[in-house]
Amino acid sequence: MHLVPSAYAGFADVVAMLVLLTEFAMLRAPLLRSQVRIYAFQSLVVTGLAVDIAAARHVPDLYTLAALTFALKVVLVPGVVLRLLRDAEADLAGSPVLGVASMVLIAIAVSAFGFFAVGSFHVQSATLPTTALAIAIAAALVAFVLIILRTDVVSQAMGFFSLENSVSVASLVVAAGLPLVVEVAFLFDLLVAVVVFGVIMRVHHGRTKTLSTDELDRLKG
Amino acid sequence: MPAVMVALVVLPFGVSVATFFLPVPASRVLSVLSGIAAFSLSLLLVPAAADHRQIAVGSFLRVDALSVVFLVATAFLYATTALFTTGYLALADNPAGTRYGRRFYAGLNLFCWAMLAVPLVNGLALLWVAIEITTVVSALLVAIDDTDGATEASWKYVLIASLGLGIALLATIIMYYAGTKVFGGSYDLSYATLLHGASHFPPGAVRLAFVLAVLGFGTKMGLVPVHTWLPDAHSEAPTPVSALLSGALLAICFYAILRYFQITVRAVGPAFPRTVFLIFGLASLLLAALYLLSQRDMKRLLAYSSVEHMGILAIGMSFGVPIAVFGVLLHVLCHAAAKGTAFFGAGSVVRKFGLKDMSRIRGGIGALPWSGPMLVAAVLALSALPPFGIFRSEFLIVSGGLSGSNDAGAAVLVVLVTVAFFGLSWFTTQTMLSADVPEASPGGVVATPDRGEVSVWIVAAMAAGLLGLTILGVHPPAALSHLLDRATTELGVPR
Amino acid sequence: MGPSVVAPQGIQALQVATILVGSPLVSGVIAHVEGRLQGRRGPRILQPYYDLAKLFRKETVVTDESSWVFLAGPVVAFSCYLIVPMLIPVLTTYGLPLGYMGDILGGGFILALAGFSVALAGTESGAPYAQLGSSRAMTFGALIEPTILFVFFAVALLTSTDLPYAMAATVRSSTSEIVRPGHVFAAIAFFLVVLADTGRIPVETHSGTLEFGMIDEGRTLEHSGPQLALLKWGSAMKQLILYTILINVFVAPWGLATSGSPAAVVIAIASLIGKAVLLGCIFALIDNLFSKLRLFKITEFLAAAFLLAVLAVFVFYVKGG
Repeated sequence: MHLVPSAYAGFADVVAMLVLLTEFAMLRAPLLRSQVRIYAFQSLVVTGLAVDIAAARHVPDLYTLAALTFALKVVLVPGVVLRLLRDAEADLAGSPVLGVASMVLIAIAVSAFGFFAVGSFHVQSATLPTTALAIAIAAALVAFVLIILRTDVVSQAMGFFSLENSVSVASLVVAAGLPLVVEVAFLFDLLVAVVVFGVIMRVHHGRTKTLSTDELDRLKG
Repeated sequence: MPAVMVALVVLPFGVSVATFFLPVPASRVLSVLSGIAAFSLSLLLVPAAADHRQIAVGSFLRVDALSVVFLVATAFLYATTALFTTGYLALADNPAGTRYGRRFYAGLNLFCWAMLAVPLVNGLALLWVAIEITTVVSALLVAIDDTDGATEASWKYVLIASLGLGIALLATIIMYYAGTKVFGGSYDLSYATLLHGASHFPPGAVRLAFVLAVLGFGTKMGLVPVHTWLPDAHSEAPTPVSALLSGALLAICFYAILRYFQITVRAVGPAFPRTVFLIFGLASLLLAALYLLSQRDMKRLLAYSSVEHMGILAIGMSFGVPIAVFGVLLHVLCHAAAKGTAFFGAGSVVRKFGLKDMSRIRGGIGALPWSGPMLVAAVLALSALPPFGIFRSEFLIVSGGLSGSNDAGAAVLVVLVTVAFFGLSWFTTQTMLSADVPEASPGGVVATPDRGEVSVWIVAAMAAGLLGLTILGVHPPAALSHLLDRATTELGVPR
Repeated sequence: MGPSVVAPQGIQALQVATILVGSPLVSGVIAHVEGRLQGRRGPRILQPYYDLAKLFRKETVVTDESSWVFLAGPVVAFSCYLIVPMLIPVLTTYGLPLGYMGDILGGGFILALAGFSVALAGTESGAPYAQLGSSRAMTFGALIEPTILFVFFAVALLTSTDLPYAMAATVRSSTSEIVRPGHVFAAIAFFLVVLADTGRIPVETHSGTLEFGMIDEGRTLEHSGPQLALLKWGSAMKQLILYTILINVFVAPWGLATSGSPAAVVIAIASLIGKAVLLGCIFALIDNLFSKLRLFKITEFLAAAFLLAVLAVFVFYVKGG
């Protein structure tokens, strides 16, 4: 059975796919700065998706959400992290646990798992863009890979933020009608999380003079 | 009653703001008063919640019996921790004491506010938001000591917990999607609405949401294999924060899972969620019991004990019979009291001897005439010895397992709890009771300081905890039993 | 007056002839545009034909060490390139006689055989640079192959067949087919493959003279005379074949003849050449905008193409993309 999605759903799928691809790009970006910029681009894509869905499904609330997403995730968060990077005078990411090729292969395997897991849960229906949901979940899993395999605080924090982006995509395609107050609460939480991440990143850099997490190996057992 | 609920939300927040500006001595008094007030207010809700179906204020606040159980546990720990902190911070060896003290009190109250808000808010979305706030506040509190260990622990904590909450957010969204089948495109995620329509939700989506919720909130609850942040954060945080993390925060996250459980049971029946609980519970219990045998740090030991007890909670839920679920809810209350007391005792010992590596401490009970024995008592209580409450709750859980034709699960539970008991008591008796010097300990044993308590406030906090434990163990008040019954019914496991 | 309908066999012959005759023209246009983009006047558009004619008149020089493989390689490759156009929709929307003798995989195999025989001929020369080029071409080929396979899988999942005609028909059927992510990513993946396979920036400087950077070009360094002419012509044909697949199967399968009327066939020829030239201009533009990747970075470029192809398959697998 081959359902051909409508042009709107197709667009949503392509956007979700872009999010997944930027996730891969973040995985391999050797410069921390470029990683932050890719994140900003990814957020921009998510903003675009919000606008698209607002228009396609006539949910005016989502325009507000799109504006907030833009202000927060495209402008503010990358700005804060870039500034932190400037202060820390760090360019290169810590050497990852694995080579680029292996990381990409692992990420492909993991995202395949995400696709098939969603497929096997039989949540598909006429109204639900299963593909976009599957892609969003795959992107979330790739974000996990990013966090696990990159060994510096910036990459790990960016991994978390991009995880949040892919969850946003999922929420936009699956639950567009989610009350605005809830969405704004999510965003507010992200803002707070950014502050906390920033504070702890700064503390970490202040203590170890590096952004690498290799030093963080004291506590175990 | 609505006024009580509003007060519970407003009071700790106000106190938190105030303590940020007030001098430390004033904050100390204010926090203790606020903690006691919160506990009294939560007790006021007990009879009401046991009798009514639910009490709602506007569309944002709502309590039923289930939430009041967790509210009481959290508020109790808030009060005792505030007491303990009075004694603990008075001796803070931090020279920049006032600044540290202000931040500490503001953070502590804010943390407690966020945790009290979790059972009070209405709906899965707000639940998620409240729990996320607990994460960010507690991460800063873990880092507040500004040592290498604290930085590392808080980084791990904030990262892993945030990721877990990312998954939990996904669970929220998928549950919302499941609801759109019944309520249409736009509705609020309040419990009443969801429970009302749950039986018509598409089962696949609900299952997915439940697994994601267990995985996501389970990260913060400390379920194996997503518990890895827990021992680090508990051991490196200041002791009052450790007590709150272990006794209240983990329980609060369990509460969040129970909310999903409620809906899932109605949507897909009890078999699926029970299996999920059983898997995570057994893994947690097994791993924690083994790790308990090899710990050198008192606070890490207690942290793994928390993992163990969270495993017991999950297994108890997997038995699925009313008596076991009743036991689980009682266990939440008892664990809060016992774990708080044990952490307070550990804090007392660490302060007294001035070092953290407790494998080098001997004869603690001789140096601390009151808190020493009480620490031993708390550890025994954690190991489920009578007459303390955990004995009663674990007994109920095991008998539930035996009555519900899950003999194997009950047997494994008993064996692993015994292993854990061995690990806990071995270490504690060595530190507290034995006086002989171990040969291979690096740096040797520290000289035992003079006999005497660190602070009377610490003793008071521990005494309160043990008193609560004993009451729960010997004869739980009728109102409380009534409340737990009611909550058991609400969980979809009618008596 | 000619017949009102061109016989299918005739169109099939025209397909091959279009590729055979049109390919140097497309190459010439691209070279010209490239020159213009770089601020030069650029070679004449018909220059490739003159080059070929000149090379065919020259004698063949063979090293002592070389065997008959050295001479046979270009011929084999050239014949392969003559076969492939029969299998793909060059001019028509429907299959022609012999058009179903091989599916899209078969076409891929024949193209691979051509690449292999050129590489073998390059190795046979015994010259270091030619061997280097051959070995590189084969190495990267090994990375390109999986991508092509996954693109084909995506096509197969979409159309439930592995015939290029069916794929093109699906794309033509509606606009929403074009924005399906699976299709988009398969097309982009194939685009990147074409980029790599035709020796373009960022994989290779195709008009370069520096042996160290050479991959595909390096293989032919030792050939001369008619053999070199065949190789050059073959590579132009391969380029046009790949363009045709990209255009007529994935991106823009419009303008093809739906019947055998002479007018439709003429339009199809013209539109194919036109589209190929347009595509070539895009490639020329890319040539100017980007710089060549370091040799070791090429794997990453190919990995990106592979990633896209794999994702395309996943997406189709989940729910028809």
